[in-house]
Amino acid sequence: MILSAVMDEIAGVLAGITGLRVHDHPPATVNPPAGIVSYPDRVEYDQTYGRGMDRIRDLGVVLLTGKATDRSARDTVAGWAKGSGSGSVKATLEGHTWTSCHVLVVTSCTFDVVTIAGVDYLAAIFSLDIAGQGA
Amino acid sequence: MTFVHGKNTYISLNGVDLSAFVTTSQIEKTADKHDVTTYGRDDHVYSGGLKDGTVTMSGIYDNGASGPRATIQALIGQTCTLVRRPDGTGSGKAQDSLTVLVEKYVETSPVADMVTWSCDMQKSGAITTTAQ
Repeated sequence: MILSAVMDEIAGVLAGITGLRVHDHPPATVNPPAGIVSYPDRVEYDQTYGRGMDRIRDLGVVLLTGKATDRSARDTVAGWAKGSGSGSVKATLEGHTWTSCHVLVVTSCTFDVVTIAGVDYLAAIFSLDIAGQGA
Repeated sequence: MTFVHGKNTYISLNGVDLSAFVTTSQIEKTADKHDVTTYGRDDHVYSGGLKDGTVTMSGIYDNGASGPRATIQALIGQTCTLVRRPDGTGSGKAQDSLTVLVEKYVETSPVADMVTWSCDMQKSGAITTTAQ
């Protein structure tokens, strides 16, 4: 499992959500609504014998939308955070057949306010649990 | 002499390398004991008897043709060869080879984690312990 390949594939899949510009790594500048595939805290090697499986338990994906005080921003993140259907991040990612890893599960979504160029943007932060071939 | 990490352990059942799906394995080697204490003794005295043993292994489920489900389920109730190399594969490294009776195969599905499996086996006959 190669981290850059996993991050590329996640960005490519998320780009299928309407209106979302997705970066496959943290960029220098962001223009919401946008998605950022972030780095995991760690890659856990040797989950089975013989380099059989590696695991990334908490790769973060940050989706930014409009001002935190806008009602439309709330509706947008609610669409991303829903558990199924069109626009759902969980359904979109878990419905994909992965080639850079064996399995990917969206385990949680948290919310925050991120300030960019003096503007407070509403952010939905998704945590991904990923397992793949160790070798 | 060096300490050895478990990550390189090799284990196969019926000729199928299951190492990539295994997280824990163990061979328990035991022997019967016979109490041969006689009159006049202050302590028990024992004599060794027949050797015995069990093998267990467990790990992460995989749905492939050479994964644990496809390999082990068909062997339940049958004897086959198990090979375990605690140091991994390499010239001169330790290896145990034995016939086992496959007694139990269990799959467990926790809601918030990977599907896991485990297998219990009974040693049948002697263990051949050799260097590879």
